[in-house]
Amino acid sequence: MSQTQIRFSGSGGQGLILSARILAAALAARGKFVAQSQAYEPTSRGGLSRSDLVVSDREVDYPLVTSLDCVVILDQVAVAASEGLLRPDTVTITDAARVSAPPGEPRRVLALPITGKARGIGNIRVANIVALGALAELAGIIDPDSLRETMLDLVPPRFRDLNAEAFDAGREMAATLENA
Amino acid sequence: MSNPTNIQGNAAAAAGAIAAGCRFYAGYPITPSSEIAEQMAARLPKAGGTFIQMEDELGSMAATVGASLGGVKAMTATSGPGFSLKQENLGYAAMTETPCVIVNVMRGGPSTGLPTRPAQADIMQARWGTHGDHPIIVLAPHTVREIYEETIRAFNLAEALRTPVVVLYDETIGHLVETVTLKEPEEIITRKWAEGPREDYLPYAAGADMIPAFPRPGDGYRTHTTGLTHDERGFPTQDPEKVAAFMERLLGKLETHRDLIEKNELVETDGADVLIVAIGTPARAAKSAIRELRDEGIRAGLFRPVTLWPFPEEALKAAAKGKRAVLVPEMNAGQMILEVERVLAGEAPVTGLNVFNGEPITPAQIAAAVKELAK
Repeated sequence: MSQTQIRFSGSGGQGLILSARILAAALAARGKFVAQSQAYEPTSRGGLSRSDLVVSDREVDYPLVTSLDCVVILDQVAVAASEGLLRPDTVTITDAARVSAPPGEPRRVLALPITGKARGIGNIRVANIVALGALAELAGIIDPDSLRETMLDLVPPRFRDLNAEAFDAGREMAATLENA
Repeated sequence: MSNPTNIQGNAAAAAGAIAAGCRFYAGYPITPSSEIAEQMAARLPKAGGTFIQMEDELGSMAATVGASLGGVKAMTATSGPGFSLKQENLGYAAMTETPCVIVNVMRGGPSTGLPTRPAQADIMQARWGTHGDHPIIVLAPHTVREIYEETIRAFNLAEALRTPVVVLYDETIGHLVETVTLKEPEEIITRKWAEGPREDYLPYAAGADMIPAFPRPGDGYRTHTTGLTHDERGFPTQDPEKVAAFMERLLGKLETHRDLIEKNELVETDGADVLIVAIGTPARAAKSAIRELRDEGIRAGLFRPVTLWPFPEEALKAAAKGKRAVLVPEMNAGQMILEVERVLAGEAPVTGLNVFNGEPITPAQIAAAVKELAK
């Protein structure tokens, strides 16, 4: 049985749970079974926040992650929580500015200027969507165009253009990296 | 029937309740069950029902029982500390044979314990939390889909058997979001209403099915409702013959309807060397572990009570027949294992795997324990 495990993590308020919800919705709409769990600290900003997806072609047995295929880390505070779940081939995407000490052991860590790009677009709060775009391009779990469609359905209409720009910027950033 | 959609376990409980015909919810929000109150507050009025946030859990349980006595399908939801406060009126529901559904989303305890962490330490409380010999049904769903289905079944059983029914699951499943297709209920049961001449009506007289007909408010049937031990007229009695007859019917009615109540899932139990008995998140970890172990040539199977109480004695005995060992993983210091040991006394060695640090049991922990037993 093929199963994929994905984590979005960072600090509270970065919108990581929304990123996970968008990806989960897109996967469910395409016939996958998804189990999404989350953990956060009792503060509205700051503290470790993460949301995990277990994706399968059938009903998921164990709904929590045990070994990650992909992980997005947008803040240093979230690094330790994933250390024990990483494999050498885990696609590990970190924010270049906010993760100064990425997970150890020899593995390919893709440090991308995610929050920097979001700030450049005009709103640091879309960093979660920049990250989603980058993940879509790098992880090979879903067609990025169809994920983009679901994303635009789920964000408030007045923020559609901003989020579209953020998603495309994330994809482009990742594509450049892949070609390098 | 809905398209596949991602919904949270607690939202599935609310959806199941409304699909089953629940039209009254009284609650006092508490983590990790609060989303049930939140969902019911938003959805019940649109379904023609009533939502009320009471002053505390004592009041919310009382209001739930009162609404049901008024003829409406009623529910409340809570977690450990609130479940403790609901016990007195839960006993009143059992004694007065008032149908109602109580969802308990288990967090770490005792006392306020670990509000956002999963546990299964209310297994015995769900059975024996209120005082006195009393009938109660406890259902233990292990997926979001099953929370929806079992909440519907909880209402059906409550109505059919005039008893409180507890839906019991751990925080991990309550807060889990899963892809689910919500199917319309195949069957919706509503309590048997009193019929026939009003002057002959006895509110607590029952036929062979042991279930008295319920007086629908407004139909003019005279009734009396009390937590004191009562006769067929509903009035208090201490006559030993009447008391014994009442208690035998009260406790016997679930035994009589065991076929309707009992539900178990068996996974690869035929030919297994080790039998795992689990509910909730540990049962899901067990399913995952069973697959991994099979690849290594170790044969394990799962017996999962979907109806936890009354405990599935005969079915468990049958599933455990010829097994070398039985493993009971639970997120508590050892509760369900006491029942498993009682039922399997002398037939198979029973070992517990107990995790009570606020973390869910993992497939790796179960696989390691099974390997040890399979040696």
